[in-house]
Amino acid sequence: MTGTLAGLPMRAASALPTLAAVGVQRTAWLMLVFPLAGALVLLLGGRRTNRFGHVVGVAMPFASFVVAVITFVAMLGYPASQRARDVHMFTWISVGGFHVDAGLLVDQLSISFALLITGVGSLIHLFAVGYMSHDPDRRRFFGYMNLFVAAMLLLVLADNYLLMYAGWEGVGLASYLLIGFWQYKPSAAAAAKKAFVVNRVGVAGFSVAIMLMFATFGTVTYTGVFGQASSAGRGTATALGLLLLLGACAKSAQVPLQSWLLDAMEGPTPVSALIHAATMVTAGVYLIVRSAPIFNLSMTARLAVTVVGAVTLLFGAIIGCAKDDIKKALAGSTMSQIGYMVLAAGLGPAGYVFAIAHLIVHGFFKAGLFLGAGAVKHEMNDEVDMRRFGGLRVVMPITAATFTIGWLAIIGVWPFSGFFTKDPIIAAAFAKGGISGALLGSAAMIGAGITAFYMTRVLLMTFTGHRRWEPDAHPHEVPPVMTSPMIVLAIGAAGAGAFLMLGNRFVDFLSPVTGAPPASRGLITPVSGATLALVVLGAVIAWAMYGRREIPVTAPAARFPVVAARKDLYGDAVNEAVFMRPGQWLTRLSVYFDNRGVDGLVNTLAATVGGSSGRLRRVQTGFVRSYALSMLVGAVLLVGVLLLVRI
Amino acid sequence: MNAAHVLAASTVGAGAVVAFWILAVISVAAALGLVLAPRAVHGAVLLAVVMLSLAVLYGVAGAPFLAFVQIIVYTGAVLMLFLFVLMIVGVSAADSMRETIRGQRLAAGLAGIGLLVLLALVVGHAAIGPAAPAGSNYGVLNVQRLAQLIFTRYVFPFELTSALLITAALGAMVLAHRERTSPKPSQRDLARQRVRGDHPAPLPGPGVYARGDAADMPALLPDGTPSPLSLNPVMARRRGSAIRVPGPGVPAPLPPGEPGKDGGPDAEPDREGAHP
Amino acid sequence: MTSLSGALAAATITPPHIEYGQLSPLLVVFGAAVAGVLVEAFVPRERRRAFHLVIALGGLVAAFALIISVAATPSLFAHGSPGHVVAMGAVGVDGPTLFIQGTIVVLAFVSVLLIAESSHGVSPFAAQAAAVPGSAEEREGLLRGISHTEVYPLTLFAVGGMMLFPAANDLLTMFVALEVLSLPLYLLCGLARRRRLISQEAAMKYFLLGAFSSAFFLFGVAMLYGYSGSVSLSAIAAAAATNVSSATLLYAGIALVGIGLLFKIGAVPFQSWKPDVYQGAPTAVTALMASCTVVSAFGGLLRVFYVAFGQLTWDWRPAMWGVAILTMLAGAIIAITQTDVKRMLAYSSIAHGGFVLTAVVAATAAGLSASLFYLAVYGLTTIGAFAVVTLVRDPAGEANHLSKWAGLGKRSPWLAGVFAFFLLAFAGIPLTSGFAGKFAVFQAAAAGGALPLVIIGVLASAVAAFFYVRVIVLMFFSDPAPDGPTVVTPGLFTGAAVAVGAAATLVFGIAPEPLLALASHAAAHLFVR
Repeated sequence: MTGTLAGLPMRAASALPTLAAVGVQRTAWLMLVFPLAGALVLLLGGRRTNRFGHVVGVAMPFASFVVAVITFVAMLGYPASQRARDVHMFTWISVGGFHVDAGLLVDQLSISFALLITGVGSLIHLFAVGYMSHDPDRRRFFGYMNLFVAAMLLLVLADNYLLMYAGWEGVGLASYLLIGFWQYKPSAAAAAKKAFVVNRVGVAGFSVAIMLMFATFGTVTYTGVFGQASSAGRGTATALGLLLLLGACAKSAQVPLQSWLLDAMEGPTPVSALIHAATMVTAGVYLIVRSAPIFNLSMTARLAVTVVGAVTLLFGAIIGCAKDDIKKALAGSTMSQIGYMVLAAGLGPAGYVFAIAHLIVHGFFKAGLFLGAGAVKHEMNDEVDMRRFGGLRVVMPITAATFTIGWLAIIGVWPFSGFFTKDPIIAAAFAKGGISGALLGSAAMIGAGITAFYMTRVLLMTFTGHRRWEPDAHPHEVPPVMTSPMIVLAIGAAGAGAFLMLGNRFVDFLSPVTGAPPASRGLITPVSGATLALVVLGAVIAWAMYGRREIPVTAPAARFPVVAARKDLYGDAVNEAVFMRPGQWLTRLSVYFDNRGVDGLVNTLAATVGGSSGRLRRVQTGFVRSYALSMLVGAVLLVGVLLLVRI
Repeated sequence: MNAAHVLAASTVGAGAVVAFWILAVISVAAALGLVLAPRAVHGAVLLAVVMLSLAVLYGVAGAPFLAFVQIIVYTGAVLMLFLFVLMIVGVSAADSMRETIRGQRLAAGLAGIGLLVLLALVVGHAAIGPAAPAGSNYGVLNVQRLAQLIFTRYVFPFELTSALLITAALGAMVLAHRERTSPKPSQRDLARQRVRGDHPAPLPGPGVYARGDAADMPALLPDGTPSPLSLNPVMARRRGSAIRVPGPGVPAPLPPGEPGKDGGPDAEPDREGAHP
Repeated sequence: MTSLSGALAAATITPPHIEYGQLSPLLVVFGAAVAGVLVEAFVPRERRRAFHLVIALGGLVAAFALIISVAATPSLFAHGSPGHVVAMGAVGVDGPTLFIQGTIVVLAFVSVLLIAESSHGVSPFAAQAAAVPGSAEEREGLLRGISHTEVYPLTLFAVGGMMLFPAANDLLTMFVALEVLSLPLYLLCGLARRRRLISQEAAMKYFLLGAFSSAFFLFGVAMLYGYSGSVSLSAIAAAAATNVSSATLLYAGIALVGIGLLFKIGAVPFQSWKPDVYQGAPTAVTALMASCTVVSAFGGLLRVFYVAFGQLTWDWRPAMWGVAILTMLAGAIIAITQTDVKRMLAYSSIAHGGFVLTAVVAATAAGLSASLFYLAVYGLTTIGAFAVVTLVRDPAGEANHLSKWAGLGKRSPWLAGVFAFFLLAFAGIPLTSGFAGKFAVFQAAAAGGALPLVIIGVLASAVAAFFYVRVIVLMFFSDPAPDGPTVVTPGLFTGAAVAVGAAATLVFGIAPEPLLALASHAAAHLFVR
């Protein structure tokens, strides 16, 4: 990290004046009100609203999207340094000398998120109309989804940490409700509970951070905290950073608090697409980027962030290789991609912009991939095992096409989105310099290769090869209400990256908030070349293992015939010896650790608390004389302590 | 400097000191006996000793009003009520003194001694100066002074105790008085009932031919076996009473109640910490 | 002073000056209680309930109006004065006291609604408390559908004592108030209509342990009197500021008086009565105890520790730290393995007492106002939760075992939803009043330099959230038990109680500002000395 880089962000982020919103931006709170009203109508309206519930459910996020676009256009009318606007709503909490307003901060960062949440969210709501059409509880589902959108918007638009915390808990609540939506499945209920418990750990970290902020700065507003952050000292900044990281880890399913995300796939697929891929799980990244002025002050905290990101991106990718459940494979991929974002966010101002850019395009392609998976699942009688798929590209051509575009985007093939946002992260990691930079960069690069491997695997196993369907499966292409969102998302997945990153459009837009990264060194660098090579390698190995054996000629194979042919020379034996065996071993190991290690930690913790609860409970004998004894002992202790203080 | 010493020394003189030491020993011993005596009636008598000792101490300390209140209200009224109840229940009733919780006595003893030591340290360390001169608040004007305080400075809490008394009266009514829900049986009803029942003649009273005549002592039948009819059914059900064998060689009249279960009736099977 | 002049002075005492206006809220409540006793004596049984309702609810409303009018008196707080000491120094009338009294009256009003609920045949109280449980007399009383209407005056006496307890300006008045509030509660605990043995056991335990704690309190008062020569809080504070000679008496006094106060709060290690008593008492009475009594006890604790021991903050703080930590952790941890919903709520109440103690430790105006706010919103939520408990019934009465609550969300989604909402508020999820309250107390504690306490508090609430969500999962994600309880339609009164609790939890979660402002205004000048 060079000195110029370190110096930049503090000025950029903390010295930004936040002006009061004027004109049309003053109605930004409508963004929250629409989905909230939708949720209230749908959840309180009862069965009366069954008939038109889904219409309301789709209309509300779309209305929010319109408001977000209007707000965004209005923002573009201001000069770059005056785009952060505060929308005061009402005084929320005022205790003693402490004062929190419920206000919205509309700036470049939050509006990016708002557009993503409402835009992608509307599309997924639309998809869900078809997907949930046979579910008797569709109205309730839309109620929860609208609740989620409102809470997520509150999270990103809040102008202080406390309000953000409210949104944070709100999205958590909506997420638990939706994971457990199909309550009749015990696994769904267990998954909801697990998500809740794991998130408690993160929430504890976040709330202690807020208390620490209050104790140090006497305020929790962004402007107040960031303005004084540099005066707080390195230790406080490190503590704050690590506590916020703990919160981010839980919400964004980062190691070591990642275990809930895979189980969360028990929820309906639109939920997985919206909450557990596109938006909520990225809240941790938002938290870190939003708190940039704090992280900028502490190398230690940033290092922890990068390590968490790098470990998770490999961890998630390896898990993605091991899962036969299409949704869980995609969930592993989500962990991995968020790992990239966290890694980028940990790189400081050199990476913040790329983290957010990757987050946005990830929202497009991962939502698209999940919707594709949902469409397949919908048509295959709720089957999610990829070993029961195969050959679907013939019967579901639109789904297959959109999924393929998503696949190209996620593995980062030029000119698809992932290429433009993932490569800068890898490059920035290498540019960090030193051993840590090399390690992080290599991890990110290897991760890209593994990503290509497992995503190709998913694609091949699902859409190509023999039909390994259950006998009673009769898949057809899904109706237009479901394909149209997938098509729109596929367009985003294809073009968003180029649109955002070419000509530094997004970098220039966001840098007043996050600080600018160093100028890029052209489109094709040695790093991106090497990455591309690894990606190709991964895809080809996957093809060799899953595509070639069944159907010799496939579309991806035709795309890279030379490499494939050269690779083929090594033969299956080498494949097996060099990659497959260790790979399987590695995947098995990681799954083992996922089940035993991390879950084990949580379980041990729970068992300890539960055990001590059981032991303490036995003190409550039911005999009044033993209660009196406990009081007497307490009295001795209390008198003793007070006298000790005196002596 | 010993607090008791100060207290004693600050009053009238050597006579008071002597009285203090004698009464202190008596009252502490009686209080210990009160706690340790298995029979309730012994406890009541020992309580009377404690209260009387305290009353004398108050008197010696120049607080005659308190001394008399102590005797009239506590020893005279409250304790007599205790004794009435004990007589009705059975004067020789004894509680089971067996301890069923492991370590309870040891722990209680240790904690009690601990608190005692701590409080002794407190009082021992406290530098209690000479008490206020035994002025007008004590001795002959004590009653007036008390009256003055009660009706001026402390008039509000004093009046407030009426709430406590009303509550107590109401509580006694609630807990003890059973409202009649069916018409009272007439003389005729009772006679008819008796003739139709198994025992046209009066039931034997408690204590007939037995060693004592307490209410919980069953009468003995001609063959020496106790008659359960002679006892009030409520009393017969009472644990610990009427278990005693009236004479040597005579089998116990009633099945013994469950011993050592004074944690209260425990109706809930799912309570924590089942009884050992 | 010679004995003669003393006698003369005694003969011509000046009559005490009683500020009836400022004492009127108290007097109205006690007056209503006495009127209730007269109703018991002179009104035929079938019409008693109606009379009692009018008297009790009317009395509480009148008391609330009087509290507001006293608080609105400009002369009370003129020239920055914190308030007045009235009734010859026995009672303090100041901002925090009026806030607490207002809170108690509101909570008592809702509790009385629960107590008066009789839409499902009968009231929750025993027909004949004097009848032996299981006896023919009891059955006869039950069949006739009668119940003890003495509960109304008893409740009012308890409420009066609760209102006086935080207002008491000397330890003697405080002790009397403690007994006035406790004695009716002991009685009320034993009057459950169903499962009378456990109810009587609860009353017995509460009485014995309450007497035990009162003895500690009294012993402490004696120590403090020995130290300062007075029982007045301000005199003790004055003595503590000057007299350092026999400070051990003072510290022992603090500890022993503290035991009496902490017992009523249910702070560890004086909490053992709480689960048993909360479980055994009639649920309406449990609601009264869990809300009003806790508020009152905290009021008394705050006054004693802020006024009498205000200069000794550094001395009692370590002990209070320990108690707060133990209370939060023990409450939250033991609650996890509870299987009875009332016991679980009892442990939850213990843990919440610990959360408030973190703000007490701060010993600042912010800590005081945060405690006041927390107590008010927690009280309303907890009454609502217990009101829901009264509605889940099976043929044997209330179905309190948690296994019977499985799948409740499927059979009565509204009720289960409201209960889940209360539980989320207990867990401190944002946009519920519990969050605002928890934030307020932790914020005050952090500002008061007790950050470690806050961290432990946050961890304890994370643990506590676990058992709250366990119940939610049980209600919504489990299959209903085949012999599960029925949920009775709430009667007007219980429905009102649930609605008030839910509305308050929601409103004070979204817009806590007005109440927070009121609390911080009330606490601005601390207590009157």
